[in-house]
Amino acid sequence: MANYQQLSLNHLSFTYQHDRNPVLDDLTVSVPLNRIIGIIGNHHAGKTTLCRVLAGIVPQIISGKLTGDCQIGDQSPVRDWPAYNQQTGFVLQDPHSQLSGLADTVADEIAFDLLNHGVKETDIQQRVTTVAAQLQLTAQLQQSPDSLSGGQLQRLAIATAIVTHPNVLILDDPTSEMDPQGRRDFFNWLKTVTHTTIVIVSNEIDELCETADELWILEKGHLVSHGTPLQVMNHLNPEWQVTTPMVYQLARLMNWPLAIKPTLFPVTLNQLRRCVNVNHSNQ
Amino acid sequence: MSIIQISDLRYQYPASDFQLSINQLSIADSLVAIVGQNGAGKSTLFKLLTGLIQPQKGEININQQNLARLTPEERLRTIGIIFQDPSSQLFNATVEKEVAWSLSQLESDAELIQATIKKALASVGLTKLKDQNPFDLSLPEKKLLTIATVLAINPQIYLFDEPMMSLDWPSQRLVTVLIQHLAQTGHQVIAITHDMDWVAATFPKMVALAAGNVVFEGVPTNFFSCPEPVKKAGLLPPRIMTIAQEVFNDHQVYLTPQDYAEKHLVH
Repeated sequence: MANYQQLSLNHLSFTYQHDRNPVLDDLTVSVPLNRIIGIIGNHHAGKTTLCRVLAGIVPQIISGKLTGDCQIGDQSPVRDWPAYNQQTGFVLQDPHSQLSGLADTVADEIAFDLLNHGVKETDIQQRVTTVAAQLQLTAQLQQSPDSLSGGQLQRLAIATAIVTHPNVLILDDPTSEMDPQGRRDFFNWLKTVTHTTIVIVSNEIDELCETADELWILEKGHLVSHGTPLQVMNHLNPEWQVTTPMVYQLARLMNWPLAIKPTLFPVTLNQLRRCVNVNHSNQ
Repeated sequence: MSIIQISDLRYQYPASDFQLSINQLSIADSLVAIVGQNGAGKSTLFKLLTGLIQPQKGEININQQNLARLTPEERLRTIGIIFQDPSSQLFNATVEKEVAWSLSQLESDAELIQATIKKALASVGLTKLKDQNPFDLSLPEKKLLTIATVLAINPQIYLFDEPMMSLDWPSQRLVTVLIQHLAQTGHQVIAITHDMDWVAATFPKMVALAAGNVVFEGVPTNFFSCPEPVKKAGLLPPRIMTIAQEVFNDHQVYLTPQDYAEKHLVH
């Protein structure tokens, strides 16, 4: 009996049409809906391909052989496309390639999908204004998308993905071209998003540990680790060549383990705060 | 070791209010980071340093030679740039040909060219991919390839525009080691970066730009010790400082977790 309250992969494998080896190899995992799932791994790990599967791009648009299953809530991107597509937003690795190219202004670009969804004109205006404010694009609304910087383009791509209020949001390295402040603002915004299942690929390990409920590590197409950031970061295999958040590095150097579980070291500021308080009061 | 001297430099793009304006800047260290917000003028400075654009006023001297008077060949041997977006720099049919291209503008000895290509590809770990099309490579691999094309020329000065961007962790470590090695072997490395943790851990000297002007030049410890110029340049301090501030209300300068531990652990 399928569980409609989770995102689950069941022996999911995928091989691109002209490749011999699978890019994703037998992934099985499940997470309750409306969580933030961070995906990390080095290149050729399969992160982008997994995003494409979750977004339904693979195998609908880019073909190949998919086996096993992928289910998000009561729908599958494989079996229930295009209904699934209607409730899913995604941001590709390269923001330039996902804009319509038809809009003269940032406002029109954000409105593009709403028009396609048949939303009323007055509602469109209001939604565009709200989303632009959330992603700090208000000043750019009347500019051409071509005039934006890389970081602004990424924010525009995110705006176009969320303006339709999707239940599922797939973000493939959405902050790669943002400056540090832009990146911090993005992750702070991400924490405020509710009622949405978010899958985010990123190299920002510190921010992911602060934000994600669940971390998955992919290595050469295999899911080698999954769990809370605390569990995953405390049980790394050096062969995966994954970095750790700075909070964890500091806690290891200073020998500040968690008070409640002294075999584990903190990975978030709040965890660090708690264990430092305990360590200090014991001295 | 090279010395870059910039004096009275002005550059303005046509149809833009932005002006890069540097009165005096001397870059004489082997490892220098250039930091600043998007639009601060960092990439414009790099374009001026490579002669891709010409200043409207002022000049750039490298080892007391005016950059504008160097021949194309001299310029290639003096200064090499690794762009932020590797695709803008790649156009050959194979990885090997890509590395050979610029080199063959300077060298005619086929054996020397082959040996140099081999060495350059090995130092970025791309030997196995030498027959592939550059456009089939992953983004980190493309970036490493653009580094190899410049390594093959072996200029005195290397300009890296956001080298850490879109690299995975093993490639970041590789590039950091490579940059340190270049600096230790008599080259000058200047890198534009947004990554303050990387600056703090790797660069002894830095220059900060804001709105087309130099707002700081010196050692990172001094830059991060006063919040004003950091804020003015639109930057954040290294994460270890944020941790110390937020968890311990400690406002001292720390560059890395190791730096913090050294200052606090009683040996």
